Amino acid sequence: MAKKVTIVYFIFGIFILNGCSKLDEKFLGDTTQGGVASSANTTILLRSLYNSMTSVFTWVLNVFPLQEICTDEAIFPTRAGDWDDNGIWRSLHSQKWAANHDGIKNCFNSLNGINYEATDLLQYHPSNQQQAEARFIRAWVMYLLLDMYDQVPYRDPGENLTQPARVRTGTEALSYIISELNAIESDLPVGPPYKANKYAAKVLLMKCYLNKMVYENRSEPVPNTDNMNEVIGLADEIITSGAFTFSTNYFDNFAPDNTTSGKENIFTLLNEAGSTPHNSMGIAWFMVLHYNQDFGIGVNGCSTLSDFYNKFEPTDKRRGTVYSSAGSPPNPANEINAGFLIGQQYDYFSGAPLTDRKGVRLLIFTPEVKNIETGANNEVTGIRPIKYFPDWTNLFSPDNDFVFFRLSDVLLMKAEAILRGGAATNAGAYGSTALSIINAIRTDPSRGASALASASLNDIYDERGRELWWENWRRQDMIRFKKFLLPFQEKNYLSDSKYLVFPIPDEQLAVNPNLTQNPGY
Amino acid sequence: MRSVPSLFRYPEFILFFCVFSFFVAGDVMSQPMIKGKVTGRDGIALFGATVSVKETKSISTTDSSGIFIIKANPGNTIKFSFVGYRNYQVVLGNETELNISLNDTIINLEDIVMIGYGSIRKKDLTGAAASVSAKDFNKGIFTSPDQLLLGKVSGLQITNNNGQPGGAATIKIRGNSALSGTGQPLFVIDDVPLDGRSLQAGNNPLNFLNPGDIASIDVLKDASATAIYGSRAAYGVIIINTKKGQAGLAKITLGVSTGINSILKKIEVLNAAQFREAIQYYNVDSSFDKGGQTDALDAILQTGFQSNYTFAVSGGNENGKYRISGNLLDQDGILRNTGFKKYGIDLSSNFKFLDSKKLGLDIHVNSSQYLQNVPYAEIGAGTIIYSALRWNPTDSFRNADGTFRKNTEGNPLANIEFVKNNLKVTTILGSVSPYYKITDWLEYKLLFSVNYSTAITRNSVNQVVTPPGNPPGTASIRNNELTTSQITHTLHFDKKIFPNFNLDAVAGFEYTKFRLKGFSATGNGVDTVGFGNFGLDYTNYIQYSDLTGRSISSFADPTSDLQSYFGRIILNYKGKYLLTGTFRADGSSKFGENNKYGYFPSVAAAWNIYKEKFFKAGFIDLLKLRVGWGKTGNQEFPAGSAQARYSFFDGGILRQVNNPNPNLKWQSDRQYNIGLDFSVFKNRISGTIDYFNKATTNLLFPSPPSQPAPPGAALLWKNLNGKIQNKGLELLINTSIINQKEVAFNLSFNLTFLKNNVTGLPATIYTGFVSGPVEVIENGFPMNTFYTRKFIEIDKTSGFSNYEDGGVTFFHFGSPNPKTLIGISPAFRIKNLSLAANLYGAFGQEIFFTPLMGAMNVGGISFGNNIGLSAFKNPAKESLQNPSQSPSTRFIFKGDYLKMANLTLSYKIETGNKVFKDANIYITAQNLFIITKYPGFDPEINSDRSINGIPSLGIDYLEYPSSKTLIFGLNFSL
Repeated sequence: MAKKVTIVYFIFGIFILNGCSKLDEKFLGDTTQGGVASSANTTILLRSLYNSMTSVFTWVLNVFPLQEICTDEAIFPTRAGDWDDNGIWRSLHSQKWAANHDGIKNCFNSLNGINYEATDLLQYHPSNQQQAEARFIRAWVMYLLLDMYDQVPYRDPGENLTQPARVRTGTEALSYIISELNAIESDLPVGPPYKANKYAAKVLLMKCYLNKMVYENRSEPVPNTDNMNEVIGLADEIITSGAFTFSTNYFDNFAPDNTTSGKENIFTLLNEAGSTPHNSMGIAWFMVLHYNQDFGIGVNGCSTLSDFYNKFEPTDKRRGTVYSSAGSPPNPANEINAGFLIGQQYDYFSGAPLTDRKGVRLLIFTPEVKNIETGANNEVTGIRPIKYFPDWTNLFSPDNDFVFFRLSDVLLMKAEAILRGGAATNAGAYGSTALSIINAIRTDPSRGASALASASLNDIYDERGRELWWENWRRQDMIRFKKFLLPFQEKNYLSDSKYLVFPIPDEQLAVNPNLTQNPGY
Repeated sequence: MRSVPSLFRYPEFILFFCVFSFFVAGDVMSQPMIKGKVTGRDGIALFGATVSVKETKSISTTDSSGIFIIKANPGNTIKFSFVGYRNYQVVLGNETELNISLNDTIINLEDIVMIGYGSIRKKDLTGAAASVSAKDFNKGIFTSPDQLLLGKVSGLQITNNNGQPGGAATIKIRGNSALSGTGQPLFVIDDVPLDGRSLQAGNNPLNFLNPGDIASIDVLKDASATAIYGSRAAYGVIIINTKKGQAGLAKITLGVSTGINSILKKIEVLNAAQFREAIQYYNVDSSFDKGGQTDALDAILQTGFQSNYTFAVSGGNENGKYRISGNLLDQDGILRNTGFKKYGIDLSSNFKFLDSKKLGLDIHVNSSQYLQNVPYAEIGAGTIIYSALRWNPTDSFRNADGTFRKNTEGNPLANIEFVKNNLKVTTILGSVSPYYKITDWLEYKLLFSVNYSTAITRNSVNQVVTPPGNPPGTASIRNNELTTSQITHTLHFDKKIFPNFNLDAVAGFEYTKFRLKGFSATGNGVDTVGFGNFGLDYTNYIQYSDLTGRSISSFADPTSDLQSYFGRIILNYKGKYLLTGTFRADGSSKFGENNKYGYFPSVAAAWNIYKEKFFKAGFIDLLKLRVGWGKTGNQEFPAGSAQARYSFFDGGILRQVNNPNPNLKWQSDRQYNIGLDFSVFKNRISGTIDYFNKATTNLLFPSPPSQPAPPGAALLWKNLNGKIQNKGLELLINTSIINQKEVAFNLSFNLTFLKNNVTGLPATIYTGFVSGPVEVIENGFPMNTFYTRKFIEIDKTSGFSNYEDGGVTFFHFGSPNPKTLIGISPAFRIKNLSLAANLYGAFGQEIFFTPLMGAMNVGGISFGNNIGLSAFKNPAKESLQNPSQSPSTRFIFKGDYLKMANLTLSYKIETGNKVFKDANIYITAQNLFIITKYPGFDPEINSDRSINGIPSLGIDYLEYPSSKTLIFGLNFSL
């Protein structure tokens, strides 16, 4: 008996030993850090990093709402039951957001995703140019985080993610970004615009110096001559390179073939029709067009406001023009189809006037729009901006490159720096004064506006609005020009100064003790 | 099958049963040749029973008439044994003929509880466990066996998520403690724990089983009972025992049933006449009156037919038994073009080898396939019903030329015609288990099992219904495979080590592998060509699709292995004092490098008070006090969460997709339980009362990562500080009020009181997505408490919604967790006619009824869409421009209900016929009625509105409606 038991215990023991495993987890359809290091090259990782930018920035609802809907340029009205979305759009325009705001959280997370991926790439031994590109991209998103949240979390490559990230705040973050840009400039290529490049780095440095006074004191920014001279010097380097000139048509910069026709573009994201993964550029037009427009692709969301619209001269082509691109519909009524859509809308194929969804009311976009639209005409209120002309052959995966930096932004920053105490210089064909620079832009045939007689800071502010509308700069401009908290259309009160920065999302405060909530939230 | 060896362990089991045997005295003969007959249940002759003489070791077996002959002397002990029956010994007197009737064990199954890696008599049980056997199951046609338990077990809440055939149920044992994952119990089929995942989201993981093959289901509730399953046991364990072969002549059992089903309850929208009135009332465009009269909901609904056929053949002898069963279920859904079909076969056999019968082998193979047609995610049941609720009731579905009319909300009839989603799931569950009785008190057992299932999904959407601007028509094919394989070694010791003192111990080792992989292909129709005009299924020629719109993908989940060591001891002193201790060590490849193993102990004791000498209350037949404590875990998080993972995406893109956590470990549950079992008045009234207190900590939580974190990786799986407390009282009473030969009346009822509370969380967690989160998991509140704007009224002058504080502040408002669960099962019998009912209900919970906010919103009529009747009847006229699609308490309703789940009238035909035996005809009504004030299809609902993997609860997002069913059936055996 005992022998039998021994035998079975023995067998039992063997089974246990055979079965005993170290329980290592193996990946079958994914790979590990080790797998990346040994089998992947950094070209793949860099391409993936650019594509992450595509998915964040072309999904227009990440950065755009925070930089534009809270300004006098844009509104995302609740139209009866449409676009309620738990009030996240309304609270932006009325400047009454809180730290649990979904959009504020999503933007923070999206930008930090790029921040992470750019950092992570650095541990896999990239070439000099590759690491410079990755660090430029990281500097760019860090800059946006600084601008919006005043706190920039960061990690070292390969850091343990269960540990909270460290944080740079305000001017400390700015100094880091400036030092990064200076460090990588020599390794960056000169182009093309859809790659991180030397000129893009210069534009970003200009932004840093121009807005430094804001990051030092958001309520009462005080310009510093040295910083303004830095801005002017960098602008002149870009201008004198001769790499950028005005496009034939203002809207060429944003059109489906803007990779070639957008001659003002300094830094963009490349979209190739039908083949760029995560290309959501189509939202640029879906979010404004009415349901009944054209292929029925619109979702009838955002509008601009009449006060802003009225800042344009009627001749100013930036306000609206008749545009066409390969494959676009015939537009027999010759209706304005790029810029601000206002008044009766027509079918671009037949030229027939359109109606709203109820079928009874003509689709006439009214100049006036409210944050909550409760009238029977709630579908048709508001002027609809089309900056990116739709790629009619690829509405869902369009060819339009997403634009970050343009020549006219550089010129206007230079003009502003001159007015803020910088030393005027003569570079390119734009003259040496703020007035000559502004008028060079305004009177270029691509704009067709009249020359101004004088140029004050207020003129710069307005011109930046007209030139750079819906390009994600309005909030920054309004803050720098101390207009942000003032009453404007559909926000008829002075806002609390806490709204000069966005709150740190609640969710992040809960997981990262190195972040502190911004004052007032 | 395992009940047999377990019975060997308990010879005193005999106490429970009467044994009829006849001893016929004969003359003393010079040749001590003993002759006799061995019979079993219903007096059938047992063929192949073993008859042995202890002293002489001579052995004989019975012939096909049950007759044996064996040499024995008076005074010898003769032992009779037969598989499936209890052994019987008799000391031979002077008789020469022995007619022995053995008692089978099957009848006694009710008194046996499966406790994982073994079984125990109910009276020796120390933990909280409930056992439901086939005769108490819900009657009717079911797609999965969990439905057999609806309302039958205290502390067990089964909520059918919707009425979709084959749809999932939310199963919670002892309250809501799942901060992530499904919170469903571990399912064990015989000895094989299941993966628990369903290959098709929204489907029941138990669909592959035929409810007719289930002999009994044991529900292990407290931690002292479940801890033997360690890191998978925190949400309780449900052990499903399949039917096994019974010895005897081959017996065939047949069951045929057929039924019709229709919608249980409708949502009220305007009819054509009311719609015309509403056009006037709201002063909208009179052209919305299209002059017709349609009921869009009726148009997409149907009276469905269903039929269910089962057969089973079983038989065998002491050396080998078998049961083979087959089933065919064909069930129409109540939405047109939807349905569920299942074919299954179940084979189980037990063999005994060697003269000594010490070597045994159990084999079980279950194979099934089900086909399901239901609308799929993008144009799902909710969307189709949405389009039906909004359809203008004066409008026709088709134009004069027969083509479908379109409106902005979609044509419900076109959707139901042209959106195809065919799912085919094939499952094989096989196990082989040899065991060897080394000595009378020691048995070794090996179990090897494989559970493989594959799901093929074929979706297509005809260009007729693809929205404008979208590609004309789409098709997609998806194939996923789930494999679980397991090997278990157990050694079972059972011996009276001292007089009156028995030790029963189990030690074991188990290794389980979980694998999941799949692929998919999608294509869109070509512009101007479309996808299909050929009347064919697009998924049969997907290459015809547009070259640019295609997508292909494949995946394989990281390996997931579980390695476990476990043991249990049960000390039993005189049947009066019982002590159980269990221990399990679970190592998982999913756990982080720093926490590979989790340890799960439990201890429980029971005191059979009525056996004490001092206990004199004669009317009390059983009184037992139980206390138990245990620690269990939950490891329901995706494999590959502990180390950095880089995934491959379209177009040569590679990026990190997770936030690795090397410290990740199981979620921990500690539970104690105090229970009392009693039985009085000759077992006329018996019952169980349990109080439990369950604390869940180290909450597995898909946390937001600290940014910067990998793009798109919204989650960092971690163990969160915080505690979810579930306390409750469970009561089960069985009564046998009348119990006579001609007339009987039994009543069983169970009651559960639950209390849920969350404490210690570092921050409030939001979930329940209804255009924003509407639920919170917050300290001081029950799980998933609603949190939204507080609606006051429709303003009588403006027609707009008034909210507390203008809607800026959100308030806590009600909880979707029921406070009370109830189950009532009365049963009458007059002679051969019986009537049995089962009612169940849940009380104290709130439900968020989103259709009132969306589909039925009054603003719809300004577009010529239908609206809810309640909005129209509201004395305060709501403005059509009221931006009322903001979530608010206006849409939260009491979800209390009582359902007549089951009412069965059956008649047992005593044929007196040797061919037909056990014939039974019945009529069953399932879901005959529901008593509720809830305005939706059914308050028994749970739409998945989770946010970042945090489950929502009690949100009605328009789902497949529930049905009521009337079934006629006949069972008989040959």
